[in-house]
Amino acid sequence: MASEKSDLLQGTLDLLILKVVAVGPIHGYAVAQRLRQISNDVLQVPPGSLYPALHRLQKKGWLNAEWGESNGREARFYKLSAQGRKRLAEEKITWERMARAISLVLRTAE
Amino acid sequence: MDWVKRLFRLREQEKEFDRELEFHLEELFQENLAKGLAAEEAMRRAKLELGGREQIKDELHDLYRIPLIETFLRNLKLSGRLIRRSPGVSAAIVFTLMIGTGANIAVFSAVDTILVRPLPFPQSDQLVLLLQHSTEGGNPQTLVAPVRLEDWNRMSSAFQAIAGYYVEDTSETSGPLPEKLTRAFVTKRFLQVMGVSPTAGRDFTAEEQRFGGPNAILISDRLWRQRFSAAPQAIGQSLHFGKSSAAIVGVMPASFQFPDESVDIWSAVPADAPYAQNRTSTWYTAIGRLKPAVKVGQGVADIALVQSRLGRQFPASDEKLNVEVQPLKETTVGSSRRSLWMLFGAVTLLLVIACANIAAVLLARGTERQHEIAVRYSLGASQRAIVGQLLTEVLVLASLGAAAGLGIAALVVRWLRTFPSGLPRANEIAVDWRMLVYAIVCALTATIVCGLLPAWRTARYEIAHSLAAGGKAHVSSGNPMQWALVTVQVALAVTLLLGAALLLRSFYELGRVNAGFDVRHVLAFRVDGSYAETTDMKRLQQRINRTLETLRSLPGVKGAATSSGLPGVPSQFPTEVSVAGSDKGVLQPILANSRFVSSGYFSTMQIPMLAGAECGDTIENKYALVNQSFVSRFFGTAGPIGRQIRMAGGLQTPLSAEIRGVVADAREQGINVSPSPTVYWCVNAPSPTPNYLVRTAGDPAAMAGTVRQVMRTIEPSRSVYEIRPLNEHLSDAFSETRMRTVLLSLFGLIAISLACVGVYGTLVYLVNSRRREIGLRLALGAQRERIAGSFLAQGLRVCAIGCVAGVMLALSFTRLLSGMLYGVPPNDPTTIAAVVVLVTIVGTLAATLPAVRAAKTDPMQVLREG
Repeated sequence: MASEKSDLLQGTLDLLILKVVAVGPIHGYAVAQRLRQISNDVLQVPPGSLYPALHRLQKKGWLNAEWGESNGREARFYKLSAQGRKRLAEEKITWERMARAISLVLRTAE
Repeated sequence: MDWVKRLFRLREQEKEFDRELEFHLEELFQENLAKGLAAEEAMRRAKLELGGREQIKDELHDLYRIPLIETFLRNLKLSGRLIRRSPGVSAAIVFTLMIGTGANIAVFSAVDTILVRPLPFPQSDQLVLLLQHSTEGGNPQTLVAPVRLEDWNRMSSAFQAIAGYYVEDTSETSGPLPEKLTRAFVTKRFLQVMGVSPTAGRDFTAEEQRFGGPNAILISDRLWRQRFSAAPQAIGQSLHFGKSSAAIVGVMPASFQFPDESVDIWSAVPADAPYAQNRTSTWYTAIGRLKPAVKVGQGVADIALVQSRLGRQFPASDEKLNVEVQPLKETTVGSSRRSLWMLFGAVTLLLVIACANIAAVLLARGTERQHEIAVRYSLGASQRAIVGQLLTEVLVLASLGAAAGLGIAALVVRWLRTFPSGLPRANEIAVDWRMLVYAIVCALTATIVCGLLPAWRTARYEIAHSLAAGGKAHVSSGNPMQWALVTVQVALAVTLLLGAALLLRSFYELGRVNAGFDVRHVLAFRVDGSYAETTDMKRLQQRINRTLETLRSLPGVKGAATSSGLPGVPSQFPTEVSVAGSDKGVLQPILANSRFVSSGYFSTMQIPMLAGAECGDTIENKYALVNQSFVSRFFGTAGPIGRQIRMAGGLQTPLSAEIRGVVADAREQGINVSPSPTVYWCVNAPSPTPNYLVRTAGDPAAMAGTVRQVMRTIEPSRSVYEIRPLNEHLSDAFSETRMRTVLLSLFGLIAISLACVGVYGTLVYLVNSRRREIGLRLALGAQRERIAGSFLAQGLRVCAIGCVAGVMLALSFTRLLSGMLYGVPPNDPTTIAAVVVLVTIVGTLAATLPAVRAAKTDPMQVLREG
């Protein structure tokens, strides 16, 4: 049951992360912050979901990670890879098509 | 090898995860501080927000881990713990496998080195011996004349080159005492054929291989080290051989031991010497190197064609010759092939027995571990995971066993190299990476063979399930699989024991055989001489007679004689002889063994005279004696004494003599060979180095010093060698027979011990698991004898089935032993009965202890235990 649900959510979360990381090298905390800010506090990704997702994307080769410094402390910065950039574009199209389809269904079914 | 890197990165990654999460926590904390919270509260909330840190780390870990390897490592850890928990059983398993694999690895390395690996010469599969046979007189092998060797080289097309050699013992006289050295005389092209060059110095020059050219020698690595301490200055120095001397031009590599390992010196023999031009002379054993990609069969055809052309060209000397081509490897190792494969078969059976033994133990232990396994199932372990865990455990034990076995094998190999095993190439056997690879293969095979069945059985879900529910087994009828394994052990042990018993019987029969001569109290030795002495046969014979007379005059010496071969050491010299006036086939050539003996031979060897007289001290070679078999085969009532006998064929100078006497049959051609018609030619010097035989009053070995001393006074320039009691020479001749007998007996004993442990262990297990039932039965009035009897019967039934199966298996394998048995048929009922009785006795003993223990069960105690 858990896996069925996460398929949808995971795909969405991946897309969001890719989008945020596309801006430039960014650490995990900042990714969460940005998602929250941009979504007006709607999307609050807990670390327990965020970090596995980041590492999964990195393992797939869509993200590159590098240790760097933030406010005098060591942080792990993520960056979109060329492959990740391509993927982001594809995912975006898929998502938009899906969103249109869903809203179409929701509107028409009334 | 990506996973290896990843494996090593796991620990590092763990730290990285921590750092990353730490940063996140710190940021949350700072944010909370910025909101104006107190430090403590800020931290509390930050931690809350971060969530289960360990859980996140675990999740991250799952992303990166390599399932197979990690599971294996975890299993390994767990195995170590379980092995330590039952040290007794684990040690027993490791020990059993150590014996099983140790014997197997050792014999493997012998088989691999001796039979599988090429000889230590470059492209050694191209090397063949060219054995010249005379088509007359029983096809004896004869040596090749130097001119013919040159003809072969010139006319053949399949060979790169053909060279010849012969070996002679010689005395090197540079030092105060003569030293015996073994010298190989070789023709030109010798090193070319062997494909070896000197490690220091050079090959012979053309000048040195020409008649009248400088004398040059190559020396062995061993002589170079012993005599010259491996100094490079050795080259250019000279060795002295009586009146002649020769300069050292090169040192051969240590690995080059051809024609045999005893050779110290190689000398070139000029092909153009005037005395080397006779086509009937017999000098060389010929060795050839086939051209690349030429098959042995083509070489056979080629040399046959060449020889038939020579036969037409020189009918007198070459027509009745043919040439056999034998791969050098076959000549070298062919005789040991059967023994080695037989032993390899034996150790393989032994390993199977060891594995069956361990499998039975594991099955029993598996039943005891049902509870643990049930718990693991209920915690969600899959059947695969459980089998994997059980197999890992076996793998650990098998690896330990094989490692210990490798150690044992290394010791055995060292022993094999020094022990006079009669094995060719034994000095090449060494501990090497092939043994290691084989040991690993052994460990893996043993894991699968011993472990798979018990692991699968143990991990069977239903059993685990039902037992978890039931808690305790009330009655287990004894695992039939376990008994099957024990039966296999007994059967295979019986097979091995039967083979060993047959070899032992043969050996015993060999020792019991009436040789027809007395081997005790005889000292045998040789005094070196040179073929150069054969130019003056009279002087050579006088020298030998003088030596014999001196020996006979020694106190404690009852007789002395020379003989062409050591009596009892296998050798055959079949020759064609014809007897004038024999009533069966007058002057027909007949085939008989020839031996050359001096006066006093028959009294020294205590071979009874039946008629006539012994050889006298004459040096005219005009007498001969024959044995009883000869008389009964070729003569009727008319006695042979006084007739003329002639030897034809093979030898260049026909020998003619008057039959002077008849002696009883003796097994001089080998203790294991029935006496055959034999002619004893009264010739004290068939070669410059005949065997001296001295009959002593006391211990022959004690006489060796006296003999050396007296030889030093009468022949100061000659060395005395191979001086040992005759029975030691005989026992050397049978060292391969003895080795395989000893080894197979050892394997048989180990096998039956393992099988008994199997019977014992399985019964102990059975008694233990049925304690409650036994207690109940006793409480209900069962008789103790009947309880003991039922267990004993179970053990004996296994022994009986094992015996029948083992004997049947052995009978179908008797072909393996053919040619190794003497005086006992391979299906000898007495031997079979003896083995069956032995196995029954030890099997009963093994079964009695647990049976008695079962009968001694205290019902009250068992019932109290619940």
